[in-house]
Amino acid sequence: MSTIHTVLPLIVVLPLLGAFSSPILDLISRKLKEAWILAISAGTLGVTGYVFYYVFKNGPLLYTMGATNPFGHANFPIRIVWEIDMFNALMALTVAFVSLMAIIYSVEYMKRDTGLEKYYPLILILELGMLGIVVTGDLFNFYVFLEIMSIASYALVAFRNDTWEGIEAGVKYMMVGALASSFILLGIALLYGQYGTLTMAYIAYKMAGHMTTTAKVALALLMAGLLFKSGSVPVHMWLADAHPAAPSSVSAMLSGLVIKAGGIYILARILFSIYGPSINVRTVGWIVIIFACLTLIVGNAMAVVQTDMKRLLAYSSVGQMGYILLGVGIGLAAYGSNVGNLALAGAIYHTVNHALMKALLFLIAGAVIHALGTRNLNDLSGIAKTMPVTSFAFIIGAAAIIGMPPLNGFASKWILYESSALFNPVIGAIAIIGTAFCTAAYVRVIYTFFGRPNSLTMKAKDPGKSMLIPIIILTVAIIVMGLFPWTINKDFMLPAAKALVNQMGYIHTLFAGGV
Amino acid sequence: MIPFQYITSFLLIFIGVYALIYKRNLIKLILALDIIDSGVNLLLISEGYRIAGNLPGTAPIYTGYETLKGVPMVGPLPQALVLTAIVIGVSVTALAVSLAINAYRHYGSLDIRKMRRLRG
Repeated sequence: MSTIHTVLPLIVVLPLLGAFSSPILDLISRKLKEAWILAISAGTLGVTGYVFYYVFKNGPLLYTMGATNPFGHANFPIRIVWEIDMFNALMALTVAFVSLMAIIYSVEYMKRDTGLEKYYPLILILELGMLGIVVTGDLFNFYVFLEIMSIASYALVAFRNDTWEGIEAGVKYMMVGALASSFILLGIALLYGQYGTLTMAYIAYKMAGHMTTTAKVALALLMAGLLFKSGSVPVHMWLADAHPAAPSSVSAMLSGLVIKAGGIYILARILFSIYGPSINVRTVGWIVIIFACLTLIVGNAMAVVQTDMKRLLAYSSVGQMGYILLGVGIGLAAYGSNVGNLALAGAIYHTVNHALMKALLFLIAGAVIHALGTRNLNDLSGIAKTMPVTSFAFIIGAAAIIGMPPLNGFASKWILYESSALFNPVIGAIAIIGTAFCTAAYVRVIYTFFGRPNSLTMKAKDPGKSMLIPIIILTVAIIVMGLFPWTINKDFMLPAAKALVNQMGYIHTLFAGGV
Repeated sequence: MIPFQYITSFLLIFIGVYALIYKRNLIKLILALDIIDSGVNLLLISEGYRIAGNLPGTAPIYTGYETLKGVPMVGPLPQALVLTAIVIGVSVTALAVSLAINAYRHYGSLDIRKMRRLRG
């Protein structure tokens, strides 16, 4: 057993420990509990950083739960495995980083709320669920982590249960989410019935050359469930209700991470690593592209007409998910070609960027709500005068999400435009129309921020340290990531895309097995 | 021929989805989710069922009886999965019911057509 195999389980052990020990510490002292939660999530970030470094240096990593190899005495894998390549490692790092920011932010933001002994465990369980989803290599293990994540997020959306808004959003989110989870479980059950195994890589191995109708039905069910979970357009209504209703620190995690880890990540994993070339990649790829085009047009266009700041951000999330889906779809339709790899790299890049940008924007929305008690855009006129740091950060975030050149959003969006134009010019045009709507929506908010101050905004001031630090860190991250776009793309995003496309490599990692 | 337990489980899933679409009462929707869950669990557990000739399978525990009589053992993995899925289903139901109680407090009704205040 090497160090990495000792350290890796801490990815889920640490948040779990933190979640269930914090109510006990809460009885002793509130300060102690907050310090403990921060230490736990910083430790989780450290672990994911180490895992990322290890995978970056040494290639894919296989971990078997409670044993040294996945096989036992059988000649096929019988144990639960975790399989980590560049793609998962990158996602895990993003999840841990944004979660840490959200937790630092909550210390001050949630001060006035009651029920904090439930809030911190839930937010750590949410982080645990997402980390579990991104590291696992076993379908049922994935389902368990997905449900851990989903239940925590239903509870967090309805956290302020003294308001009707949280409850209504929670009920809607829960109905849709539970139905989607049932579809996913049904898909997993069909796959298990067909191939008699739950290890993703082994299903991929058995599926090559033995594609059956049942497996196709299972794919349809899994895709339906995961498109529900990622807020794709015909079924995006829950997202626009649920994300604004949650406390802002939770909205940042929901919009920045949950729809990606529990939606896009696992969708890409199933499409590429399990099904891969066994299916007709062109047909399935085009299905994903059509959903993506609908999503990015409708999401961005709906964002323009919103008057509620958080609702605008939530619709913008739907639109940005469209870009990521577009990259995944093109990656599948042009499977294995350079254009496909580039599109996939763009999708992964945009996933990471959007996690940072949307987390930043939601945290700023939270700061505005904290200072003014309203999120109606008509009341926020002139806020730049009294909240200069927050407004500056908002401009950076908005410019990045639109795709202005020196910032990180430019690089990922440029790669996506380029690859979609190379793949099919019509799709490239649709992607750019989506950005036009996106620009309109954000320019309106910036225009409001710089308008004439009213009596309400004159009294506002920048938030305290604990809320400002994550905002500044995320702003700096966006600027720094914008300075080295091609290095990041070449060293991290393209290898991640290639690791995702390389299905043989994924299977080989399993069979090479052991430590 | 499709075994009848598969037909039953898909029938349960369809009943659940039908109720989820056409019913308006929150409690009925929660029951619909439970019915879908039961359908999926029934499918999963029936996949592990084994039968040899007219001898039904036994529980997956080695007692010596199976090897003596040549009786097949049912698959142990689906049972473990279904136990987990049931536990998850129970926690989802518990949360859903508590949300329903809160919804009744705020809206004075369990009719989901009344829960339409969020718009835009």
